[in-house]
Amino acid sequence: MSAITRPTVRPIAVVAALALAWSPALAKKPPPALGKQSTAVTNQIVDAIAEEMDRALKALELPDAPKPYHISYKITEVEVNDAVASLGFITNAKERHFVNLECRVRVQYDGVDNGNFVVPGGDGIDGVAGITLPLEATPRIARRAAWLVTDTAYKEALVQLRAKLDARTAGGVGGAAANAPWTEEKPIVGEDPVLVPALEDLDTIKARATKLSAVFRGDGHVRASRVAVTSFLERRWYLTTEGTSVHDTRRVSGVAIVAHGQAPDGQELAQYYVKYGQTGADLPPADELEAQAKKLSANLLALNKAPLAPRYSGPVLFENEGAAGIVRYTLAPNLGGTPLPQGLRPQEAKLFGGALAGKVGLKVLAPFLSIVDDPTTGNAGGTAVIGGYKIDDEGVPSQKVEVVKNGFLKSLLTARTPSVAGERSNGHARRTTKGGSFHGSATNLIVTARGGVPAAALKKRLLAEARGQGLEHAIIIRGFDDAAVTASSEMSRRELLQMLSNADVELPPPSLLAYKVGLDGKETLVRGAQLGAVPIKAWKDIVAAGKGATVSNFLASAEGFFDHKLGGVDEGFVPSSGIESSVATPDLLFKELDVVPSTAGQRALPAVPPPPATR
Amino acid sequence: MQRSISRAWPAGAWPRVLAALAISACGPGGTGGQGGSNVKGPGLGQVDRGENLPDVPAKIETTAVAPMTDHTPAARSPILDIMAAENQRWTKSLAGGADPAYYLAYQIVEQRVVSFDAEGGALVNDSDETDRILDIEIRVGSPGLDNTRALSDDPNGFNEPLPRRGVVPFESDGPAIANHLWLETDRRYREAVQALTYVRQDQRTLGKKKGVPDFSNAPAEVYIGTPVKLAYDKAAWVARLKRCSERAFRGVATRGSCGVVLTENTAWFVNSDGSQLQTSWTTAQLAVSVGVKADDGEGLSRLEQAFGRGPADLPDDAAVDKMIDTVTRDLDALHKAPLAEPYVGPAILEGRAAGVFFHEVFGHRIEGHRQKDETSGKTFSSYVGREIMPTWLSVYDDPTLTTLNGKLLNGFFRFDDEGVRARRASLVEHGKLVGFLMGRNPIGVESASNGHGRKQPGLDPVARQGNLVVHAEKSVEYAELEKMLMEEVKRQNRPYGMVFTDISGGFTNTSAFAPQAFKVNPVMAYRLYPDGKRELVRGIDISGTPLVALQSIRAASRNVETFNGVCGAESGWVPVSASAPSLLVERLEIEKAFIPADRPPVLGAPSVRAGGVR
Repeated sequence: MSAITRPTVRPIAVVAALALAWSPALAKKPPPALGKQSTAVTNQIVDAIAEEMDRALKALELPDAPKPYHISYKITEVEVNDAVASLGFITNAKERHFVNLECRVRVQYDGVDNGNFVVPGGDGIDGVAGITLPLEATPRIARRAAWLVTDTAYKEALVQLRAKLDARTAGGVGGAAANAPWTEEKPIVGEDPVLVPALEDLDTIKARATKLSAVFRGDGHVRASRVAVTSFLERRWYLTTEGTSVHDTRRVSGVAIVAHGQAPDGQELAQYYVKYGQTGADLPPADELEAQAKKLSANLLALNKAPLAPRYSGPVLFENEGAAGIVRYTLAPNLGGTPLPQGLRPQEAKLFGGALAGKVGLKVLAPFLSIVDDPTTGNAGGTAVIGGYKIDDEGVPSQKVEVVKNGFLKSLLTARTPSVAGERSNGHARRTTKGGSFHGSATNLIVTARGGVPAAALKKRLLAEARGQGLEHAIIIRGFDDAAVTASSEMSRRELLQMLSNADVELPPPSLLAYKVGLDGKETLVRGAQLGAVPIKAWKDIVAAGKGATVSNFLASAEGFFDHKLGGVDEGFVPSSGIESSVATPDLLFKELDVVPSTAGQRALPAVPPPPATR
Repeated sequence: MQRSISRAWPAGAWPRVLAALAISACGPGGTGGQGGSNVKGPGLGQVDRGENLPDVPAKIETTAVAPMTDHTPAARSPILDIMAAENQRWTKSLAGGADPAYYLAYQIVEQRVVSFDAEGGALVNDSDETDRILDIEIRVGSPGLDNTRALSDDPNGFNEPLPRRGVVPFESDGPAIANHLWLETDRRYREAVQALTYVRQDQRTLGKKKGVPDFSNAPAEVYIGTPVKLAYDKAAWVARLKRCSERAFRGVATRGSCGVVLTENTAWFVNSDGSQLQTSWTTAQLAVSVGVKADDGEGLSRLEQAFGRGPADLPDDAAVDKMIDTVTRDLDALHKAPLAEPYVGPAILEGRAAGVFFHEVFGHRIEGHRQKDETSGKTFSSYVGREIMPTWLSVYDDPTLTTLNGKLLNGFFRFDDEGVRARRASLVEHGKLVGFLMGRNPIGVESASNGHGRKQPGLDPVARQGNLVVHAEKSVEYAELEKMLMEEVKRQNRPYGMVFTDISGGFTNTSAFAPQAFKVNPVMAYRLYPDGKRELVRGIDISGTPLVALQSIRAASRNVETFNGVCGAESGWVPVSASAPSLLVERLEIEKAFIPADRPPVLGAPSVRAGGVR
């Protein structure tokens, strides 16, 4: 088993060259100077690995065992500069540079291939192996590394296949039925270097983080705050025995501002703001970021005085980031069309949705809604989006997919593990499951609505719905928590245990900005608004949508909300895991959802007030 | 709880190769009786325990630095004032409340770690990172009974504190640092109060008496060391490592690596007793490592390391070449070596291996808190004043030592992580157990700390080893030791004796839930035959139990060697050394090691010359 982790702020990966060309917003600015070609991974390195790949395909074979029928390599070179600051001073700053080689080997016997199967008691046996490559081009070492890593992956693949074959008759392995094997895809070749702007230097990044974090000095109601600024470059090379040899580069800069408070009853409060672009020049200017930081502080102050959300069942309007959040958390996970691997535990399987499996051709959304997922684009409505790429993680070119048209499900997002024989990948392999298979996942998910109405009209519609249901108020949600960004290290061991024992992992994350709206339109900020379960069928009962769209870039973490809460944030950083994703959506009005008041995160108030200078 | 000692610096990117050694004796069929001692040892046979050895002590010449040396008040950082002010604000504010904190300590460690690694002639890691880590220790209740008291039944440790690598801003801004101190103090205080309620409930429910206190007094210390700076030539080091790794990548090795880890550390410590400490030091470590998989799947590796206070202490190219020669020659030999069979018989542990043997078999069990922990085996608790090893052996741990026989010692420190001045702890005198390694956690027989409360940043301190020294008052030349081994082989009617010169890993169990046993993994193990033939073997572990093993020592060599490394336990990785003469052990038990179901790569190594690039 192998994985590359970036142990710091996970920057957003985009096909920068494409995105730069397509984004009107960016077109107004002079493009930043392009960086240099890699000196660690040259044509000689790729050639040396290809040579070893060819040798392995021809000769790698153990007695009485199948030979590999497919071998693929991904070379990843990562450069990261990032810094975190708090109250005007750096808490962490690092430059990183590393190169990894990952090999995947597939074997088959009797029409069964080793993929998409979790070996009982052996999650890490998946036909995938990784190794570190030198920072300087050294073909001799690269080829030797390919030799070793291919050998390891092959042996793992054989064990995985053996276990999968056994599972056909041994029983006891839950999950999906045996799948059709790996799809065939046309090889692609594109080895020209993809040049992108150079990283912002660490001093510049530190200066930005330092200045912005000072905004919170003197805000006594802000318990903790941090600002993370990152600049990231990821070069990738894919090689497969089908003949694919292609290069792709991703480049991003980002900023994350996080602030925490505590309500008078002890409930933890959090607010955050994140923004990503292809370079630092794409991020909002300093004064705008400072305004955002001040807004977070003001929100915390307001939440300090806000009452708990009421218990509620009725229409809920999702606005702005709230609309993006409801798409992200309750719809997007269900758009993957890859069958789940056999042997995946039910709790883990829930993270992969699956509620729309087998529903292609059926009505799944309100009839005025349509969805496309487009990893080939660099912007949505003029705003840069970050979920794009040229080649997916299985070396398949990205494709724009019409997912829902006028409420009817047209297609799911697929990878090379088909749900039925004959199905092809549409270039959405991004997220891995245990067992090593890639899962079709959302990239740039764009929701559009016919007949969208302005915000004021949508609010009137909300109130009319509430009135029609005999309610005295309605609920608007304008933001959800993202534990990958806000998780703090402030909990004690017993508080963490309490939180876990009370956790319902199937609920969407808590709302960070929720409002109780009287029938007269007056809004009251409430805290602790926890949305109940949102079944997929609730999406058919959306009664109206807004005009325009909110574009939200985020990292879709492989870990669940409570995993992040348990782990906190390492070294004050925003965690590194997560798939670069975007959602563009109009505001959405659901006919009926449940909201309950939650005091999650409640704990004793400080026994000693904060130091005078920070009050 | 398992503990192990390692020669690999844990913070770097190097493989975490463990290194430990331990031995055991008196296997099935051991001789009965007692020899030469007024106190009967557990299960010891009627044998010569070395009392007739020459009265020539093994050679030990040491240098030391007293903790207060170079105290420089003018170098004081304002960070200490910020820490002291926040510490006092908390203790004063809590003083009138329901659960005052009777002890509060802050430690901030700023650590820069520079590491370079090269593989087969190419640089694979180039890292330079600096962190500032905050640790807080807070105690509520009273020294007699506080929040740290273990519950009667808490197998998952739910009532234990949850230490975290607290974050503190760089530089010395008062408000910013104080805010972060306040945040972590708030969490730890809340946690301590929660824990104390469970402790009190536990005491009431089980009708327990308070028993041995939870915390001991220690004098307030003030010491200001001048901050030191790490100086090194990056280009030169990268070039040296590339050259080194290229040369190491030879013979049967499929991996040949050279790496260096350089650190610059400054620690600030403040506690509510009034201690204020500022210490600063650099370290340097060089490693040469090679590896290959044997035909039966056993992973074979050899590692040679050198430690120093700074880059200048590390070996020059000529010395590095010798290290390369050693590891590559050994690896090639190991690759050809046969698998060993289970064995019980006499053996020699050569100096460094003997040091690790004492570290594992004795050192971890003499850590004070283990005598108190209800879940611990408390191997030595009832042996104070009694003989536990031959009377010509004494053992002490002295963190103030800087060199032994001219070699730098890795376990040097001035003050421990509880703010207590480091000092020599006498553990065994003339074979009798006389003391324990103590932090500020008292035990029934010893209450005061002797400055051994240690931890890595981000964890809570417990008693740990520093520089462990085994002193033999009687010794023989090494050649004589081998002769004695052969005599023992004949006496026991064995075909050969064993000689261990290096080890790669090991652990010792101190939990009462499992046998009080140790197990270590020798790398370089030889059969020594009566005709003088020396045969390298592989695929073995040494196992045993501590009380028996220590009483099975029969002789020591005059020369003393030092093992430098880092040791891992519940309070993390700390630098240590263990110095000992080579030891002849009457009986040692060897068992077959676990060899994973694997095999060497299916295909032969690729040749660039033969296949080459496309």
